[in-house]
Amino acid sequence: MAQVDRALRHGAAPDPPCVFKLVLLGSDSVGKSSLALRYVKDDFRSMLPTVGCAFFTKMVHVGGASLKFEIWDMAGQKYHSVCRLYFRGASSVLLVYDITSKGSFLRAQQWLRDLEAEFLPGEVVVMLIGNKTDLDKERQVTFEEGKEFAESRRLLFAEASAKLNHQVTEAFTAEARELLQREEERVDQTQRGTPRVTLNEGPPRQAKCCAR
Amino acid sequence: MVVVTGREPDSRRPAGAMSSSDAEDDFLEPATPTATQAGHALPLVPQERCAELPALGGPAAPGACAGRVQGGPVLRHRSPAGAAGEHAAAEGGEGAPGVSGAHALLQRPPGADCGDCPAACSAAEGPLRQAQVVNREKMSLKSERRGIHVDQSELLCKKGCGYYGNSAWQGFCSKCWREEYHKARQKQIQEDWELAERLQREEEEAFASSQSSQGAQSLTFSKFEEKKTNEKTRKVTTVKKFFSASSRVGSKKEIQEAKAPSPSINRQTSIETDRVSKEFIEFLKTYHKIGQEIYKQTKMFLEAMHYKRELSIEEQSEFTQDFYQNVAERTQTRGKVPPERVEKIMDQIEKYIMTRLYKHVFCPETTDDEKKDLAIQKRIRALHWVTPQMLCVPVNEEIPEVSDMVVKAITDIIEMDSKRVPRDKLACITKCSKHIFNAIKITKNEPASADDFLPTLIYIVLKGNPPRLQSNIQYITRFCNPSRLMTGEDGYYFTNLCCAVAFIEKLDAQSLNLSQEDFDRYMSGQTSPRKQEPEAWAPDACLGVKQMYKNLDLLSQLNERQERIMSEAKKLEKDLIDWTDGVTREVQDIVERYPLEIPPPDQPFAAIDSENVENDKLPPPLQPQVYAG
Repeated sequence: MAQVDRALRHGAAPDPPCVFKLVLLGSDSVGKSSLALRYVKDDFRSMLPTVGCAFFTKMVHVGGASLKFEIWDMAGQKYHSVCRLYFRGASSVLLVYDITSKGSFLRAQQWLRDLEAEFLPGEVVVMLIGNKTDLDKERQVTFEEGKEFAESRRLLFAEASAKLNHQVTEAFTAEARELLQREEERVDQTQRGTPRVTLNEGPPRQAKCCAR
Repeated sequence: MVVVTGREPDSRRPAGAMSSSDAEDDFLEPATPTATQAGHALPLVPQERCAELPALGGPAAPGACAGRVQGGPVLRHRSPAGAAGEHAAAEGGEGAPGVSGAHALLQRPPGADCGDCPAACSAAEGPLRQAQVVNREKMSLKSERRGIHVDQSELLCKKGCGYYGNSAWQGFCSKCWREEYHKARQKQIQEDWELAERLQREEEEAFASSQSSQGAQSLTFSKFEEKKTNEKTRKVTTVKKFFSASSRVGSKKEIQEAKAPSPSINRQTSIETDRVSKEFIEFLKTYHKIGQEIYKQTKMFLEAMHYKRELSIEEQSEFTQDFYQNVAERTQTRGKVPPERVEKIMDQIEKYIMTRLYKHVFCPETTDDEKKDLAIQKRIRALHWVTPQMLCVPVNEEIPEVSDMVVKAITDIIEMDSKRVPRDKLACITKCSKHIFNAIKITKNEPASADDFLPTLIYIVLKGNPPRLQSNIQYITRFCNPSRLMTGEDGYYFTNLCCAVAFIEKLDAQSLNLSQEDFDRYMSGQTSPRKQEPEAWAPDACLGVKQMYKNLDLLSQLNERQERIMSEAKKLEKDLIDWTDGVTREVQDIVERYPLEIPPPDQPFAAIDSENVENDKLPPPLQPQVYAG
């Protein structure tokens, strides 16, 4: 993972915006792709994107800073067993469930357990999103339930509707803000730990001397 | 006695050094002409005259010296003096019309005196000059001995033609050497041909046997393993020899021999390597100083990699990744290159080093990549019966445009194996993915999400069965710039491919919504889901398969008919036998019923005559009468 971090860091150097990989997680038909599509194109499947909508990039401006989201849409739970690969190098995860389906909420909790096994605490920013607020009448998961669960696991939380474009951009922006904040903290840490970095760089240089 | 001192050609690089010296020369643009150029200059020496020298004998003819005077300045161009012998050898070997200056001088009989023209001689350099000096010393101070002492007879051509031989030509004179060399070369070519033919035949046989039956497959596999171990041991022995100084030259020759069976492949790769090197250099030239530094680092890395060849592939991978990172950091911090351009530089570096390393790090012998390749290939073959419906693939291949896209996607994923640079391989995956997206879009008329994409990719992989799938994935994972794999569009599609492969490996009845019994039956090949519903599957089949099924139908009909004919023919046969039997029986019956009775004669035969009493009363028979006339 450290390698990933380093790799990302050099790609995310001073001037251009940092790139953050965001993985969309959730059961089938909870509206992952719709959320992403709505956010990126501000569109609800009325206009066709050039090619597919499984991978997007989007520039985000938060306050003075800006960052670039790389959104990876993930196939549903059928492929659950092989999906760990998607998490490599991810810096944030959107955990989506459908408020009209209790099952999808339970699945989301299952996903979270997988995530916790894969990442160190605090390594990724996870946001729980209850989608389809437009179908409030058929609601099976209450707002409180969702919020409570999110707070108990220290996740960001929002309810949104991709169809009505309600709270979608806000959710992504909140995620971006959190990411930038953590990034700043991390930069502070690495600056404090400068000597360690030099040590890390030592061996390859030595090797070059020998080769000469 | 003749005293010969010689210098080892210092231009020879240590055995096994990087083969990229050519590229370096290109890049630095040496001010002096390269060794080859100098070598070509050699024949400027008036050759006929030189060749005549031995024949002249006795006191030095002025012409001999003149020859050397002319030879001198030409030779002076060359900076590494030691190269002379080598190039002379090369000239002779390739059948140049004359002999080079150096050789001519050595061929000169001892009687020729050089002392007459010391100025001219001193002009010559390198081994030429040494040879001359030696000659002169021999003349003036006959008692002095230096260097290696060789008997004069040993200096003569081995063939005994009277001319002097040269060690560079294995003790032959130029003329005899050329003949020998030609003969050896012809023989070598012949052997190469035979070997190539044999190899091909073996391969074809192996292919045929692997095709013929399942059982044979394990056989070829064990053969492959054997080959693998063989290769390993061979490698070990060569490496050992490599380190023992005494057989250094020998081991080098052996390596070359080991390479010999596939000259065309080697040549092809080297052409590609050269092309990539040139492009890389051209590219770096636009970066001036930092470009030069990058070049130096890359060179150093390649050299270091060469010595790491025996290490595990993971260590090599780690080393490569570290290198990528160091170079990227340096370029950015020291070279003050903006990040987008750093990316570009990194791509070029990757292309350059991976083209060179490909042969050694793709599917290396030390790993079981190849076994995994075979395993997944077998697995995919066993899963040939999986239909798009089972995977919930939202692609309708009845639409010609869609089936076109599917074919293109399959072509792309198969093409991946032919690329050498990880990034090119990734590009193939991306291209394949784009075609898949298009296919889904045309079918569903709405943008594809990941839920549509992954199953389709799995279907494409199952249908295409791309060669060396695992090796390729491993190679990309190990040697691609890591940031490319974990982020970016290419990374996304690559991750999906990895998922698809993992899914195929784990695929079971549940993931296809089948019952375990059905799944087992399909896997064992007892039955196929397609057989049960021939109408349902027919549309998505290609024309040939359709035709085949039609023919199969016809065949079964024919079979039925034939059986009917057979049974009827048998019946007919039986009928025939029955009929003859019946007839026989009837005849016998009749015979029995009506036995043939011949009544005994009533009167004795003698009585017949006695009965004809009236005969006596008949007139006598007419007698012929003669009339005179």
